[in-house]
Amino acid sequence: MNTAEVMMSRGLRLLNRFSGLSAIDRLGLRKPLENLIFQGTRNSFRTAGAVARTFAATQKLLQPARLPKARGADLFDLSPTEEQQMLREAVLGFALEQLRPAAQAADAALAAPDELLKQSAELGIAIMGIPEALGGAGNERSAMTNVLVAEAMAQGDLGLAVACLAPAAVSTALVLWGDESQQAKYLPAFVGENLPAAALALQEPQPLFDPFALKTRARKQADGGYVIDGIKSLVPHAATAELFIIAAELEGIGPALFIVESSSARLSIEAEPAMGLRAAATGRVVLENVVLPAESLLSSANAEVYAECVQLSRLGWCALAVGTAQAALDYLIPYVNERIAFGEPISHRQSVAFNVANIAIELEGMRLLTYRAASRAERGSDFAQDTALARKLCTDKGMSIGSDAVQLLGGHGFIKEHPAERWYRDLRAVGLMEGVLLV
Amino acid sequence: MKALVSVKRVVDYNVRIQVKPDGSGVVTDGVKMSMNPFDEIAMEEAVRLKEKGKITEIIAVTIGGAKCEETLRTALAFGADRAVHVKEEGDIQPLTAASALAAVFKKEDAQLFLLGKQAIDDDANQTGQMVAALLDLGQATFASKVDIDGSKITVTREVDAGLETLELDLPAIVTTDLRLNEPRYLKLPDIMKAKKKPLEAISFEALGVKPAAGLKTLKTTAPAKRSKGVMVKTVDELVTALKGKGLL
Repeated sequence: MNTAEVMMSRGLRLLNRFSGLSAIDRLGLRKPLENLIFQGTRNSFRTAGAVARTFAATQKLLQPARLPKARGADLFDLSPTEEQQMLREAVLGFALEQLRPAAQAADAALAAPDELLKQSAELGIAIMGIPEALGGAGNERSAMTNVLVAEAMAQGDLGLAVACLAPAAVSTALVLWGDESQQAKYLPAFVGENLPAAALALQEPQPLFDPFALKTRARKQADGGYVIDGIKSLVPHAATAELFIIAAELEGIGPALFIVESSSARLSIEAEPAMGLRAAATGRVVLENVVLPAESLLSSANAEVYAECVQLSRLGWCALAVGTAQAALDYLIPYVNERIAFGEPISHRQSVAFNVANIAIELEGMRLLTYRAASRAERGSDFAQDTALARKLCTDKGMSIGSDAVQLLGGHGFIKEHPAERWYRDLRAVGLMEGVLLV
Repeated sequence: MKALVSVKRVVDYNVRIQVKPDGSGVVTDGVKMSMNPFDEIAMEEAVRLKEKGKITEIIAVTIGGAKCEETLRTALAFGADRAVHVKEEGDIQPLTAASALAAVFKKEDAQLFLLGKQAIDDDANQTGQMVAALLDLGQATFASKVDIDGSKITVTREVDAGLETLELDLPAIVTTDLRLNEPRYLKLPDIMKAKKKPLEAISFEALGVKPAAGLKTLKTTAPAKRSKGVMVKTVDELVTALKGKGLL
């Protein structure tokens, strides 16, 4: 029995002896005495724990033992490959040198300049996703590359990026889900010099729009063709597009994608100028019982295909948000370091510095979630949940970064001489497109 | 007719250069590197000459470590048909580099050697001239216009007094100036095709080049910081101040 144990047992014995005495109750001493003894006993317990341990080497080590490094985590490596890096840099150079300077005028004019669309077509974004057999240059399908390209384009300008990328969305859909005759009919145009204006149209002017509960209806006809009726909204360059891929509820089956040529009878376009994405010349596509041939239906209205289309489209919007937020951050950092107030750069104020730091942290979060969803899509794993998470973060943080950018620029944020107000307006689109976030 | 174009991997022109604390050079770790802009102009000119049918094959060449392969891939994406990588880690002396490039030019039996007039890292502006001397060929530096006619090349160069036009017999060495052309944007499909184009690695030994050791960098220092300017209120004050500094 060591010292501590002796003390402990003495304390307990004392407690027992006192508790048996009736005199202490009469004297009203029971409570204070109990406290006293309890404290004493407790302290001896504590000492008991500390004194009981003796440190002694139980084995002889020849060298220090450490945990080995975890194996190279292949599954969580989101860094772009050398080729993706080159693609990203090529697109980024174009975006910063061509899109950015044209953005303000395009925003005011509600249209992207033709020359710019031509230049971006020459860059070959659409061709990159079309297989070599069809005259394209694609050799593998990579959701990750597409995300990197969209992000880099948006670093120039979101509205113009949407205008430039809209045809690629259509060609990608045809590559992924078109059958041989649909591909043979439409894809050659996308590899030629004169890229057709085209757009994917999921959005509808409905409250709480849900892309899985479409109001646009398609009915199968006796001759095998379809009649489609409804309104699609916020369609990029609606007025000039030659080809649409339109989502509609195929009666008795579910949501489906239809190839619709803009020259179809009873198809009309209404201008729909919006708060943001103005350079993308968004508009409404009104379909009044438009008659479509049987071969206009993509992938026989496969529900999985439709869900994948919605998710990929949402992922694209996440990438665009990441690029725009990055543009805002890159604009803010030199601004707050150069703008002088009270005799020093405003970045010396913690409220400014912390805010910029938060933008950088939130942006990296948006980027990581987006890349993760893209890498899962690329591997063929289910990426619905990752896309939902990325979309939620990109919507919320994208909007707050847009707002903070305006705020940090002070009075300059409010005027059109600086691009912050445009980014603020454009970033609001992310949560709206392809279904409101509340759904 | 074959054209050889040399491309150098340098710190990107947008990067703010930082000198290493020990003065042994500039920081390149984690810094964005890209193709020397003057070499991009040389590359673009070669592609344009090929498009015009004046030359038939473009070979890109670089000297340096494994990372320089990226620069060659960029050249291949630009439009080079194949690439030669003179693989050497570590510091390479200017004369060694020129000797190696001259050896590649001879080995490839090229007719035209296009180089950027200088690299933006050391601004030495000597490689093209050295190669011409080593090969004993005609040289036209600071080209602002290039045209090939048969076995002759006409080069307009920017000189202090204006423009000077030279006619050279091929093979010849041409170094490119800023206003020769505006390099195009790389097309994404070309970037993807670049990895399929042949890239050959070769050593100094195989080229018969012995590293020279004539140049030693003693120290690298950052430029002195500019002191704050002084505001003067009147012209008289300005004149007095300038006189005080002995400038007038």
